[in-house]
Amino acid sequence: MNVRRLLVNAACAAALACACVAAQAHRFHAGITDISFNEHTGSTEVVHTYMAHDVEALLANLYQRQFDLSDPEDQAVLRKYVEKQFWLAAKDGQRLPLKWVGLTVDVDSVIVYQEAPATPVQKVETIHDAVLVDFLPDQVNTVNLTVGGSLRTFGLNARTPELSVH
Amino acid sequence: MKLRVLPCALAALFVHAHAFADDPVIQRVLVEGARASQLGIADSANMGSVSQKELEMRTIYRPGELLEATPGLIASQHSGEGKANQFYLRGFNLDHGTDLATYVDGMPVNQRSHAHGQGWTDLNFLMPELTARLDYRKGPYSAREGDFASAGSAAVTYANRLVRDVATVSLGQNGYRRTALAASTEAADGVVTYAVEALHNDGPFTRGDDYRKLNGVLRYSRGYANNGWSVTAMAYHGSWNSTDQIPERAVAAGTIGRFDALDDTDGGAARRVSLSGVWRQTTADTASQVNAYLIRNQLDLWSNFTYFMDDPEHGDQFAQPDRRVTSGINAIHTWHAHRSDSMTSDITVGAQAQNDNIFNALTHTQARRTLDVTRQDHIVETSGALWIENATRWNAMFRSTLGLRADRYRFDVRSDRPENTGKADDHLVSPSLNLAFGPWQQSELYLNYGQGFHSNDARGTTTTVDPKTLEAVGETPGLVRSRGMEIGLRTEIIPKNQTAISLYRLDFDSELTYIGDAGNTEAGPPSRRTGIEFSNYYKPYKWLSIDFDAAFARARSQDVDAGQDRIPGAVEGVGQLALTVSQLGNWEGALRLRYFGPRPLVEDNSVRSHASTTLNGRIGYRFAKDLRVELEGFNLADKRASAIDYYYASQLRGEAEPRDDIHFHPIEARSFRVTLIKNF
Repeated sequence: MNVRRLLVNAACAAALACACVAAQAHRFHAGITDISFNEHTGSTEVVHTYMAHDVEALLANLYQRQFDLSDPEDQAVLRKYVEKQFWLAAKDGQRLPLKWVGLTVDVDSVIVYQEAPATPVQKVETIHDAVLVDFLPDQVNTVNLTVGGSLRTFGLNARTPELSVH
Repeated sequence: MKLRVLPCALAALFVHAHAFADDPVIQRVLVEGARASQLGIADSANMGSVSQKELEMRTIYRPGELLEATPGLIASQHSGEGKANQFYLRGFNLDHGTDLATYVDGMPVNQRSHAHGQGWTDLNFLMPELTARLDYRKGPYSAREGDFASAGSAAVTYANRLVRDVATVSLGQNGYRRTALAASTEAADGVVTYAVEALHNDGPFTRGDDYRKLNGVLRYSRGYANNGWSVTAMAYHGSWNSTDQIPERAVAAGTIGRFDALDDTDGGAARRVSLSGVWRQTTADTASQVNAYLIRNQLDLWSNFTYFMDDPEHGDQFAQPDRRVTSGINAIHTWHAHRSDSMTSDITVGAQAQNDNIFNALTHTQARRTLDVTRQDHIVETSGALWIENATRWNAMFRSTLGLRADRYRFDVRSDRPENTGKADDHLVSPSLNLAFGPWQQSELYLNYGQGFHSNDARGTTTTVDPKTLEAVGETPGLVRSRGMEIGLRTEIIPKNQTAISLYRLDFDSELTYIGDAGNTEAGPPSRRTGIEFSNYYKPYKWLSIDFDAAFARARSQDVDAGQDRIPGAVEGVGQLALTVSQLGNWEGALRLRYFGPRPLVEDNSVRSHASTTLNGRIGYRFAKDLRVELEGFNLADKRASAIDYYYASQLRGEAEPRDDIHFHPIEARSFRVTLIKNF
């Protein structure tokens, strides 16, 4: 193989490599939060669903160790984080009293349950959802708010971690 | 509460979700507390990661024993507590750490060209309260690791922040007292984590070790581990008396007891201070890491292994002072070369540099007073390495990791004898290849090949005259190549059970060793080790796990006379069986049976050491959410066994001539410790 042919081959290989990188689809990180009113209990319920992989990466990079989310001690660590990053506020700016109900975990997802006892969902004026956005810059948290049977969807991210629903 | 999330919407959102460019190193979320699965992640059957909780459940007599979480590894002590441990792995007597690369928080622990032993690994500064993880691998199959990593490597990671602050107080038999405090607090947009420890221990010895330790860590970190930085300062000081190995004939004759010493001025003192930092940046497509360190180590060590053989009047005690400053930097960058739904390929490049400025010596002493100097050296040892690695997941059933590493060493020795002064350099290129087939039926098959090395003591590369006998000796090469190959299987086909089996072969071009105790180098013949390792972890219930590890190795010298091919000290088999109970109401506990196999003590195998089996255990009770008490028991069956045996000549006071004998250091007699642990 002569030098020229080698150079041509190298250039082709480089172009192919660039094309591969360019062809890479942009992939994003996502979480879903459902906020709705439970008529039986009179509470506003909040259900967050996150990819287990993202939660494990978050905790491992905060504490450098593995987490066992079936262990109450380790659940408390995630609770502390979620309660810091997610809150709801009323019109007067007062935070709604979100109670930690619990979480379930399987191989794919982590589901966190919270509720604001004796609080109608109409009270929700501001949603602050910065869960994972401090860790994953491209994290998008989709919030589904159900008020009086109608569903509204909001997208929150690192640039807009907080918005008013009215 | 009703779940209102639409599974389909979720699936659509998450179908392409992935985390970071350095993804494989991130551990899986643990379900029911099981050990993280390595399927689809690991390069070999022998590598693994041990979590903080598993480490906490171990019964640890000394900090170095944390490394025994690595299947097949034994850490023992053949002298006073402050001395570096004696390690055994894969058919090696690793002495104080030769061929086992150890890192704490990105800093190398092995000290090269050390006064007492090549690769000296003193882990007494290790703080269990801060230890978040232990990652281990065995064999020279990774381009990421160089010097001393041929038998294996172990990396301890300290936490940037603690889930809960902790204070402990321990009391035990034989003068054992320990108190520690570890805490973290948010400050200046980051986290300050600190830990302090004070310890005293005598051990079972007639003249107690009087080991006194003061230890501290201070760290400031910002951001996340993969997107942030941290700066850490550490300081350790220890001093101790040594009960060195004693001859069997003296114990048999009743002259001394098993826990007596023959020279009651043996002992030592160690100081270590370090400043280190790490910076990491990770995006979806790249990951970068730079870490740097500055370490000052000082050791004074007085030993007497032959008593009155060389100097019947003053005795044979010798000192091996070592003062050094180690500085180094590591840089790693990873990017995606290709990424599609079916195939991913990452390229990682790394650069490493390390410099050691060492003043060490070998002197003849009596009761720690210097009589004469055997040799005294100023060593500047500098090394640099470049490496590249490609990790490709070709499809759902096949992965490969291909690596190439180049190392260059420069040795500059200024000895008290001009004949032993000089400069030398050496370099090596080490390729490695790892293939993983699977997962299929919850199982994976691995094929590994790699070349590695260990550096020899710099003094050996320039020594032409034995400082003791004044005889001419040949210079030794700076770097010694090893070649390893392995076939491994990892399976989780049985529910709640993880099994790994490895069959390996490891060749060294030469078992070249620097005999620190004698002050000269000894060029050994090539060696070959073949072995099999079995590791099994079974967690049938959330509250119960059973570990069983067994490893057997055949180590032989090559190109030697028939019947002279045994390698003294090479361990032939090790095993562990452990039962761990946790989260059982307020109770937890563990029982661990450890088998330390026989070793030949001379080349012709005519003298051998016996195998020993010991039982350790612990039981813990939680009074309240944040207060618990633990009782630890060591050597529960009170076995009379050796931590180490050597066979060589020595002469006791009053003996007319030297006599060959087994010299041993006993394991600790049965003892107990009680610890009160308060979280806040």
